[in-house]
Amino acid sequence: MAIESAIVEYIAKMLPFAQQYQSLQLIIAAALVGLVILAIVVIFDYSFGWIERKLIARVHLRRGPTKVGLFGILQNAADVTKLLSKENIVPANANKVIMLSGIFLFAFLLMLAVQMLNMSSVFFSFSFSIAVLAVFAILSLLPILVFIVGWSTGNKFASISAQRSVILLVSFELSLLLAVAAVGFASGSFDFQGIVAAQANLPFAILMPIGFVVFFIAMLAEMERSPFDIREADSELVAGWLTDMSAPMYVVMLFVDYTRMFLGCSLIALLFLGGWNGPLLPGIVWFMIKVALLAAFIIVIRASTPRMRLDQALRFGWSVLLPLAIINLFWAYLLVNGII
Amino acid sequence: METKINIGPVHPATHGVLRLVVTLDGDTIKRVEPYIGYLHRGVEKLVETRMFMQSPSYMEKLDYVAPMSYDELYVSTIEAAMGIEVKERAKYLRMILLELQRIASHLLWLATTANDVGQWFTIYMWAFADRDRVLKLLEEATGARMFYVNMRLGGLNRDVPEQFGENAIKLMEYLDKRLPDYESFLEGNPVFLERMRGVGILKKSDAVKYGATGPVLRGSGIDYDARSNHSYYLYKELNFYASFETKGDCLARYKVRIKEIKTSINLVMSAVNKMPKGDALGMPIKLINPEPKNKEVLVRRELPRGESLMYLVADKQRPYRLGIRSPTFVNLSLTQHLPIGARIADLFPILASLDPVMGDSDR
Repeated sequence: MAIESAIVEYIAKMLPFAQQYQSLQLIIAAALVGLVILAIVVIFDYSFGWIERKLIARVHLRRGPTKVGLFGILQNAADVTKLLSKENIVPANANKVIMLSGIFLFAFLLMLAVQMLNMSSVFFSFSFSIAVLAVFAILSLLPILVFIVGWSTGNKFASISAQRSVILLVSFELSLLLAVAAVGFASGSFDFQGIVAAQANLPFAILMPIGFVVFFIAMLAEMERSPFDIREADSELVAGWLTDMSAPMYVVMLFVDYTRMFLGCSLIALLFLGGWNGPLLPGIVWFMIKVALLAAFIIVIRASTPRMRLDQALRFGWSVLLPLAIINLFWAYLLVNGII
Repeated sequence: METKINIGPVHPATHGVLRLVVTLDGDTIKRVEPYIGYLHRGVEKLVETRMFMQSPSYMEKLDYVAPMSYDELYVSTIEAAMGIEVKERAKYLRMILLELQRIASHLLWLATTANDVGQWFTIYMWAFADRDRVLKLLEEATGARMFYVNMRLGGLNRDVPEQFGENAIKLMEYLDKRLPDYESFLEGNPVFLERMRGVGILKKSDAVKYGATGPVLRGSGIDYDARSNHSYYLYKELNFYASFETKGDCLARYKVRIKEIKTSINLVMSAVNKMPKGDALGMPIKLINPEPKNKEVLVRRELPRGESLMYLVADKQRPYRLGIRSPTFVNLSLTQHLPIGARIADLFPILASLDPVMGDSDR
């Protein structure tokens, strides 16, 4: 039984007079689960920041933060506090309304997408037949917001970065969705529950290795992590589309970026690595372990590879990734019909 | 539609206060106008008001990445004007110190180059840690980490400590083992090769035409190095050969510098082994003859950034005029030509491959 209906039942048991307000109960239950998911996302975002610092420091042959809290675990909290306490300066030639609303719409949409994730067979706030498609629909809205925010800051570096971001995201989306289509094809469902259930014996990463590689690389581009961090190219475009953003807004963008990473890792885990399937431990723990390992892997990639140039990334996306994604679709067809 | 963007003088990738005004057509670079002079200190004029041996510390600040090399160049110029011979042991020691300085400088270049192609600080941290070992050795030899002021007429300010040779060989053996790590990390990565290969090609004829020097010139297939072509000290005796590449792109310049680090390691090892015992101390400053022997001298040295020339017209006790031809200044003029037609993201590897130090260019 899903956790929401359990909550509804609990409310009904505790407050018998509330039974006539069915919809209210559902809303309360959904809000509770939503808050828990939000808390999980915040905790994950925070620990990604810490893992990123520590892990990259190890690759760099240094220690990373050690002073604030045990193993420097509170360093990020200190940094965020400092950034939030700064003044929020909006440049004179920026369009303040569009800039601020763009940023918060961005954050809101991402949170909406995260709410659609199913973290185990019982823990989720939505489960409907096209949940995967809905998540990717939200992801494909993001380039427009990136462009609007980058352009509205009125900085040339920011608008170049925003243009790059849009071009990159749009070109990798096709391969990404083709890989998702193959998953939907193989599992016969666009619902996370159905997809994970289809991977009960073997995860799709083993059944469709090409699809996994395509999806992983395209997801790297979608998350704009290295080597596709073309948007934020710090040695070229200063800080990309965030160049003219003051500290408080920058914190929001950091949060958004890590949430995007959480979303990406979760999607890889759910669609290709069997989601919450695993022995012994409860499903949600398996899900979190998989997400954390993926995040660590992505962070190590960041520490080891240079940045691709925009045209190189596009060439790679269109001429390598897209054909592979199409091959994978045929592969999925063969898989479904039991030919392989 | 053409866009103009202003990069610098404060920008993470311009290695100091270089300002580039870049005209873009989409993502392609149409025109680059470099503006220099933000770090102009008027050193050439300043030394005219100082006595000969009061100036080495000004010279060191010209190239703050390789201060020893300018120190040595200036003191050699004064030696040439005074007609003073350098002691045998001092010659070896100077060579060792200069090559160590070259290694330190090239390691810093490696660090910033890796960062400019978007490698997130890994090579940067590694190279800086190794550069620090070299600086420690230099500190052991000279007493300072950054600005040494160790050269005196005819020798050095102080001789190296007894265990210096041993430590130097140990460090060189360590670096010899460490360099393949850097190479496999970068050259084993297809993204790095993609970013460097065929980017910012400098043709052989253009290299001569624009007067490129140092690793930039040698990356374009010209076997010219002041250490071998105008042999000074004992580079001939140590069988020094300049390393060069023929492609002329950023990757070639990268390879030339990596090879130069290896050459420098070998040079230091053989110089330490061949170094004679004896006196290496230079002349006390008080004893300098106020009357120069040669009124007009021109001395050339191969600095880490390229060939530098110092032209001195000597007056009594002080320069009447000192002219410096700095390698960065010449190489920076290439920023107008190399990035044309390249992508905006290529500008920074190209700039890094020229290895500019603005103090050297602006003087």
